[in-house]
This record gives sequence, structure tokens and C-alpha cells, in this order.
Amino acid sequence: MVLSTPKAKKQSSRLMRKFQRNPLDFIPLVVLILLILLVVIGPWLYPYEPQKANALATLANPSAEHWLGTDELGRDVFARILSGGRVSLAVGLLSMLVGLLLGTLIGGLAGYFGGTLESLLMRLVDMFMAIPSFFLILVIVTSFGNHPAVVILTVGLAFWAQMARVVYAEFAKFRKSEFVEASQALGGSHLRVMVRHIFPQVLPQAIVLASLGVGWAILTEAALSYLGLGIQPPLASWGNMLQNAQQYLFLKPTLAIWPGLFIAITVLMFNLLGNTLRDVFDPRS
Amino acid sequence: MLVFISRRLVQGLVVLFMISAFTFFLVNLAPGGPSSLIDFQSTAEQREARLKQYGLDKPVHVRYVLWLGDALTGDLGKSINQGLPVASLLRQRFATTLQLALAALFLASFFGVLLGVLAALYRNRWPDHLVSTLTTLGMSVPNFWLGIVAIIFFSVQLRWLPASGNFTIGAKFSLADRLAHLILPAGVLAFSLMPNIVRVTRSALLELRAADFVRTARAKGLRERMVLWKHTFKNALVPVIAILGLVTTVLFSGSVVIESVFGWAGLGRLAIEAANGRDYPVILGVTMLVGVIVVLVNLSIDLLYAVVDPRIRRES
Repeated sequence: MVLSTPKAKKQSSRLMRKFQRNPLDFIPLVVLILLILLVVIGPWLYPYEPQKANALATLANPSAEHWLGTDELGRDVFARILSGGRVSLAVGLLSMLVGLLLGTLIGGLAGYFGGTLESLLMRLVDMFMAIPSFFLILVIVTSFGNHPAVVILTVGLAFWAQMARVVYAEFAKFRKSEFVEASQALGGSHLRVMVRHIFPQVLPQAIVLASLGVGWAILTEAALSYLGLGIQPPLASWGNMLQNAQQYLFLKPTLAIWPGLFIAITVLMFNLLGNTLRDVFDPRS
Repeated sequence: MLVFISRRLVQGLVVLFMISAFTFFLVNLAPGGPSSLIDFQSTAEQREARLKQYGLDKPVHVRYVLWLGDALTGDLGKSINQGLPVASLLRQRFATTLQLALAALFLASFFGVLLGVLAALYRNRWPDHLVSTLTTLGMSVPNFWLGIVAIIFFSVQLRWLPASGNFTIGAKFSLADRLAHLILPAGVLAFSLMPNIVRVTRSALLELRAADFVRTARAKGLRERMVLWKHTFKNALVPVIAILGLVTTVLFSGSVVIESVFGWAGLGRLAIEAANGRDYPVILGVTMLVGVIVVLVNLSIDLLYAVVDPRIRRES
């Protein structure tokens, strides 16, 4: 027996209507797709290796050969931007996925079952909200080192509590609603009710938060790598390129401009996309 | 009211207790945790002696109870790398961070509320769009990069302001010197704190404009400016105060990065040094201190909230 959840269908048509009315609001999505294509395909087409030093061409200016110049070891800056972009985007997207899964699971369980489980899990959420994310990340990186997988998990772990709060509130709201009771009366298991009936109601809000969260995760990874605690050289990431560049501020300030510009544009696009999605899914705000 | 206060106090203490247990066990149980530091090419006896010196020969839960007991009396152990008591390191560094944090908080609140009011007054006209562009940028531009760009512009190109440190080393104390060193880091940090404050101020004002008591005030024939400042603005500040807890956590996260960009020897810098040098007692101490501050800030906000809004007191 399938109880349809009418909201889900309405939402995709709302998305279409928004697109027809304000196509400009979808520019961020286009830019992001182009950016992802650029960092995925770019390294295959661009002739320079990101790790290859060239002692004869250090700190070169942008030219037809080296599009954005070279750094202090003669490595091509554009090649490093491309491969660093792969790392930054992958870390951002994957850590958001970690936060989304963990937050939805814990928030959903707390909201659906209530009672002791709720107070236990929500105190855990309180705890994570009370430690400033950067300190939490420092504690974990100190203990577990800075393998890229640890960085991904850590940044996700610093975000999940926010997601859990939102999901929790929605699950708690729908717990006693009629369509949930109906499904339960028809013999729907808890799992089925949670996944099939409540989750689709929560999804739009989760997507909005996730889109804003990817931006936040990219910023956090960049800051962490800038401080030397995230992605380690020689592997490039937009953050650790800035760490290098700061030593050459007087000699070559543009080295510090490019990676930051790419971070800012990427994060800006995720934030704008989040705003557009919020307009679509939640017209109140 | 008393019930409300004690309840919040207990909740705060529970959260602090959880933070202490979480960080302590995380740090101590990790592969490559403290005991791996004592792995020099030494004889078994030397190794044992060192383990004993740091108290690492006892099981981890015993160590936690001992550490917590000491922490409650203000003793957070000794830094492995610097040999100094963690508590005195924290005391030294805290003053520096406090300057930066208060200055940034002041700037962010002042300009945040100002821009929020402006955006609400000129809703959907150009000032509103300008403010919304600014806040979106504030959320998107990495604050450490903004710091670097500010150094390039104001210190390297224009040579107006110093590029690093919180005072000129060797010079006599002067307020002008301190302010010159403060202005860039505090400004950059404030820029990344502002978006939250602007948004809450704007939406609170817009929501209140439709409220009954505002309509009544207008109907009484009060001037529009009077309605705004006397009736709307004061009430709009309540949600703004409420997000200061969130702002505090963002502030501390931001200060870690900004202190590194501008070479300030504050708590954030201490945390980075400890993380790089795997100085476990220090990283535990810093995290606990920051946790205590955040919990205290949230507690004061709750109390302030309850004083301002009687409904909250009755709810509990």
C-alpha cells in the first residue's frame, strides 16, 4: 500500500516554475557545473603538471605559456589551481555528505522516537554546537593526523549538528501528523514511515542547508589547509596554495590573489544556489 | 525565575562535562595519542619512567577523573612542548584574543544592526540589494584571504598599517600603536560575523512592522521615526541578542585563523601551535576554556532574554 506524499511532486514543479520565471537565479548552478567540468577535465588538457618544479621559471608573470604565472618553485599556478580545485571541491562535497547523513540520521531518530533517545541525542547536538567548529577540528586533527579522509570526516563532523537540529524539528513536527498515523495504522514499519513519508517532507530544507553547507565546508577546508593542518603539500589545495603565497606577499602579491578568488567564487555560487533553492522550497523567508 | 536559572545552569554544566569527556577520550584514545609521544629510542625502563612522569601509566578513565579533578581546581596540567603550566599559558594568551574578539564583536554589532535597519527601511530598493550583496560576500569570501588582501593593500602598497603583531615590538605602550595593529584584524573578523546580524535585524524589523502594537502606535498618530525607534527597534533587538551565542562560536573559530594571518599571539595561535606540535594538554585546555566561554555567553543570553521577555520565564 503506497500512501503518496503529494508535496514531493509539487516541489519539482515549483522548481520548474521558478526556472521559467527567473532563469537568472540558476546562473550559480551553471557556473558550478562549468567549474566542476573545468577542474575535472582541465588537467587533461592543460599541458603543465601541478607538481613539476622548474628552476628556470620561478615567480613568472602570467603569459600565453603559463596562464596565471608560476610560483616560487616554478610550478604552474593555473595547473595547481585546477588540481587544487579537484581537492577543494571533493573535500567540500564529501564532507557535506558526511554531515548530511549523520545529521539526518541522528536528527531523524531523535525527532521520530522522542523520549529518552531524544534527550540523549539532542544533548549530543548541544555539545557539538557549543564547541566552536574550528576547535573541534583542531582536536580531531591533532589526534588523528591530517590524511585527506580524516579532513573530510572532521569537517563533516563539525557541521552535522546544525543539520540534525533542522531535521529533528521537522521529524518532531510530523511525528503526530495524520499521514504518519495512517501509515502506522496500515502496518507501516518505523523505518518505512521515516524514509517514505517523513523524509521527503524534510528533504527540501536539508538540500538548502546542504548547499549553504558545501560553501562552508570549502571555506573550512581552505582555512585548515592554509594553517598547515589540512591537505598537505605537495598535493595542492586552494587553501595550502595561500599559505605558500603569504611568504611572497611583497615579491609577488598576485600569487595570493588567484586561489582566494577561486574559493570566493565557488563558495559564492553555492551560497547563491542555496538562496535560490530556499526561495523555491520555502517561500515564507 | 529561580527555577529557570538553575535549570539552564544545570544544562550548561552537563554540556561542559560532555565536552570535557569527549575531547579527553578522543585525544587519549586516538592511535598516535599521547603515549606514542614517549616512544624515543629508549630502554624499557626509561620509557616507563617517562610514562609515569606524565601519568600515562594509569588507565585512561582513571586519568580522566584525575584530570577533571585538577581542572576543577584550575590546574590543567603542563604543556609538553613549553614545559609551562597550561593555565598560565591560557591566561597570557586570553587577554590578546579578548581585545580582538571584543573589537570585532563591537564593529560587527554596530555595522550589522545599522545595515540591517537600512535594509529593512529601504526594503526591495537599492540599499536593501546593496546590503544583501555585502552579506552574501561576507559569507563567501574566506576571511583569511580577505586578511591577506587587506595586508597587500594597506600594508604592502599603501604602507598605512602594520602587517602583523598586536603592538610594535620594543616600542613603548601607546594606544595609537595598539589601535593601528587592531584595525585590520578586527575589521576582517567583523566582516565575516556581520551577515548573521544583518539578516536577523532585517527580518525582525520587517516582521514587527506588521505587528499589532506597531499599527496601534501609528494609529495613535505617532511620527514614523518615533514608531521605528521607540516601538519597533527595541523589540527587534531581542532576536539579535539571541543570535549572539552563535556569533560567539563563529567569532572564536574566526579568531583562530585571523590571529595566524596577522601574527597575533592569542588563544587561536596557541591552539594551532599545540595542534602542530601535538601538545595534548594545551589543546585540551584551550578547547575547555573556549567551551566554558561559549556556555557562559549562552547562559547570560538566556537570562537576558528571560528578563526582557516574561513569556520565557513562565514557559519553564
